[in-house]
Parts: sequence; structure tokens; C-alpha cells
Amino acid sequence: MSFALEAEGLVKTYGAVRALDGLSLRVPTGGVFGVLGPNGAGKSTLFRIALGLVRPTSGTARLSGAPAGQASSLRRAGAMIETPRYPPYLTAREVLRMLALESGAGGTADINYWLERVGLGGAADRKAGTFSVGMKQRLGLAAAFFTRPELVILDEPTSGMDPAGIQEIRALIRDLADKEGVTIILASHQLDEVRRVCDRVAILSKGKLAAEGDVEALTGGKPRLRLTVSPVDKALAVLGDKGQPDGPNAVLADVLRAETPALIRALVEAGVEITEARWREADLESAYLGALEPPKNTFGDLVDAR
Amino acid sequence: MLADAIAAERFRLSRDRVALFWGFAFAPLIAMLFSIAGDMFTRAVLHRTLPGLTTDLANRAMGAVAGASGPFTALFLLIGAAAIFAGDYRWETWRLVTPRNSRVNLLAAKLIVFAEVAAWSLLLTAFTAVLAGLFGAAANHARLVGPPAGPAFLSQYAGVVLVTWLEVLLIGALAALIGVLTRSTMGAVIAGLVIVFVQSTVSVAVQAVTWKSLLIPAFAGRVLKTFVVAPPEVRSDAGQAGLALLFLLVWLVVLAGGALALFQRQDLTKE
Repeated sequence: MSFALEAEGLVKTYGAVRALDGLSLRVPTGGVFGVLGPNGAGKSTLFRIALGLVRPTSGTARLSGAPAGQASSLRRAGAMIETPRYPPYLTAREVLRMLALESGAGGTADINYWLERVGLGGAADRKAGTFSVGMKQRLGLAAAFFTRPELVILDEPTSGMDPAGIQEIRALIRDLADKEGVTIILASHQLDEVRRVCDRVAILSKGKLAAEGDVEALTGGKPRLRLTVSPVDKALAVLGDKGQPDGPNAVLADVLRAETPALIRALVEAGVEITEARWREADLESAYLGALEPPKNTFGDLVDAR
Repeated sequence: MLADAIAAERFRLSRDRVALFWGFAFAPLIAMLFSIAGDMFTRAVLHRTLPGLTTDLANRAMGAVAGASGPFTALFLLIGAAAIFAGDYRWETWRLVTPRNSRVNLLAAKLIVFAEVAAWSLLLTAFTAVLAGLFGAAANHARLVGPPAGPAFLSQYAGVVLVTWLEVLLIGALAALIGVLTRSTMGAVIAGLVIVFVQSTVSVAVQAVTWKSLLIPAFAGRVLKTFVVAPPEVRSDAGQAGLALLFLLVWLVVLAGGALALFQRQDLTKE
């Protein structure tokens, strides 16, 4: 198996702050890999090390098999790190032209194609410094993709975009991974985005790997039917091994959508009163919060202590 | 590749018209305007032309180029150099550019492009000096004459241009080092100007040519230029000029090498 990104015992300290604390992670080639974590978990530091912007204190990182930060590995990668910034005197088209010259890849046709594809065709000759955050993000995505890289690293790619733009970019990312075989590693705070777009996910906490796996495995697999019922024990008896309690007055049913009418009929016939039935989608949030250590001295703790 | 990085840097600077104008065109243009204004003032005050006036355009051009590494011009050169070397810190664009090429190539390309544009600036200085000279000659009815050195002038002129260019490169390398060190365009301009001003003030006070005094770049540059323009019969010791050249080159390597070494190890956490 080949890996797009390999981190082995990666440590990065900034003075007394340990941004990465022995992080080991392997991102397989192909598909979309999500990196989750709260602010300060080390996501951006990991990406900056991979792209040669920051040197690790110890440990190693490899990008497409070559030591991170080396020109040979960077030539095959595209990236957008945090909210992109541009020299204010360059237009969007000139930004891409400059990057094409810098990397020796990507021609005029690629530049025009990608400006259109990210929705900046009409603003191509406007100064990039005057763009809104969302437009800067779009230009950043074009900059990441227009040289046709094998691997793309995206840090919060949809931050600052409107809902339609977010949907558009999610579709673009999925499309590139599925149809063009580009490996995409993306960091996001939006769990819903990660669940919809990513195949695998790593959760970072305090510079360490807290959890990693397929999105389905982490979220507990397929969606389940949540029923608010009374009495719960009678409902669980009807459900058998397909049911489990979810709080004092609800159960989770591991059934197919097509089985729902029959199940509800069976419960009603057994004398169970149903006040609500709702499909619960695979829950990445629970997996995410479960993987993180509880924060110390939070506002809640202080209130409790008083 | 370095060629890619140079092409990108050249393209980028060609679009940064503010840096190009203030850094590399303003000083020659304002010098020309001052010269023309001076000639017009003289003409207006005297109400007549002085008989027997001559204008040596070649020497005017050489004199203008020789003075193009002084503190006044250095201020503007530092503005241009800071835009080239520290612009990516100011605009936080290193994260956009660094993953595209090696760090050595990126900074080396900036040094090379600065050297190119500095050479153009020196040519502009010579050209504007000639234009100002032509204006002065026309205004004062001065006769145009050739340089007293005759054909030897070309080699003198080439020598002065090369020595001044080397001094200007030192200013650029200084801005590169300070820019990388402080991550600030203002830092590169202000600290660079202070260093240029101090060493050029000290160089004026120094008289004796010793290896210690030749360590001051402005003094070494002056010794070299004096050597180049002096007639062969009154030329000073060639060994001193050689040592001056060597020290200027060592300074250039130390400053540019320092900037490269520092940049290669630098964490770009914000930029």
C-alpha cells in the first residue's frame, strides 16, 4: 500500500507549546482523508510540516514517499493552507500565472479552466486583494488544483463560503477524488462536511492521534431509527437484538428503512406508545467528542465548582 | 528549478509597479529633474549664458552612476529591495509560494531579479544624467565635449558601473538578510538605511587605506572607483584595489549567504 502522507513520531514545539506531540499517522493514497480536531490540535502544523513551511522538532514526515518539504515531493502536490493571501497588486489570473511559472507546471488553458471551474471566470482580471473571503478561498482551490497534482492538502477549504458555494466545493472535491484519482487531505471543523466528503478520518487532539478509521466505522455505520416510546422495556422486547436503549424513554432500532412500517405496526400491536420516530444519521460528532479528552477548567467546570 | 523561480519573480515584480517606480526609477528621475531645475534657475538668475561653457555628457553619466550607491539612492533601493525580499512576509504569501519550489531557489531568484533590476536602474541613472546634461547644454548654450580620457573612457565607465552595481548588490543583500531576519519590509528599509548611512559617514572620515578601513564597503567602493577612473600614471597600488574588491565580494557572499541560510531554516508559521 502506498501512502500520500506519512508522519512518524512527529514533534513540534513553539517555545513551551507542544503543537505536535509524537504524532504518527499514515494517509493512504487515493480518496479523501479528513483531519479533524479542535483549535490547536496540530492540524495546520502537520500540514505546514508536510509542505516544508515548518521544520519538525523531531520525527519524520514524508509526502508521496519523499521527505516532506523537498522539491521532488512538492512538485506533485497542491495545497491551500488556512485563508489564502495574495499579493495585492496581482489579479486572480496573474496569481495563477505566477504560481504556474514558480512550479513550472500549468498553462494558460489550465488557468482559464480552473478559474471558470471555481466560479471566478468573471473576476479573473480583478485584483485578488479586493476579493471577499469566499472568493479568496475559491482562488486558493484553483491554485491548489490547476497544476494537476496527485495530492492536494486543503486546510478549511470552505471556510467563509456561502451554503451554495460550500455544496459546490464539496462536490468538486469528491469529483476530483473519484474521477481523476487525486488524493485529497482536508482539515475541517465542519463535521458534517467531513462525513459527507471523506472516506477516512483522523481525529487529532493535543498534537496526538486520538482516533483514526473509515468514516462509517467511526460513526457506527449505517443510520438508525430512534423511537421515543413508552414503556421502553416492552419496545426492546419487540426489537430483540436489533434494539438498544437510548436514554430513559427512547430506543435505537438497527433496521432498514423499508422495515419501518412493519416495525411500527409490531410495536403498536404490542401495546407500545410511540410519540416520535426519527432517523438518526451516522453520528460523527459523537465519535469526535468521544475521541477528545474532556477539556479541563472549562466555563462549565467553573460554574459547577461554584 | 531556479529558472522557474526567476521567471516567477520577474513576472511578479513587473506587476508591482509601486515597488518598481519608487525602488528603481524614482531616484534617477528626481536627480534629472533637480538637475534641469538647477540649470533653469541658473539661467533665470543670470539672464544670460556664460561664454565658453562646455558639457561632458559621458562624464556626467559616469558621475551620476558613481553616486548611485550613496545614502540618498540607497533609501529608494532599499524600498525596492524590501518589496522583493520581505513582501512575502508582509502579504503572508510564503504559504502560497513556498510549496512550489525549493527555498534556496525562491530566495536566490529574488537576489538575481534584484541584481537585474538594479542594473536597469543604473542604466536609467546614466540615461537621465545624459538627458539632463543635454537640457543644461541647450539652456546655457554650452558646447558638448567628449571625455578627456578619450577611448579609455569606456573601460573607466564600465569599471565604475560594475563597482557601483556591486555596491548596490550589497544593499540588496543587506535588505534580504534584514528582511528575512525581521520578517518586515519596514525593518529592511529602516535598519538597512541606518547601516548604509553609518558606514558611508564613517567612510568619509577615514583617510588611510588599510585592510581595516577597506572592510567598510562604502570606503572599499570609493577606493575601487578612484582606482578605475585614475589615469594609469597616477593610479594607486593595485593591491589595495584588489583587496577592496575582495572585501566587497566577501561582504556580498556573507550577506546573501546569511539570508539564504537563515531562510532555509526559518519556520513560516504565520506567513
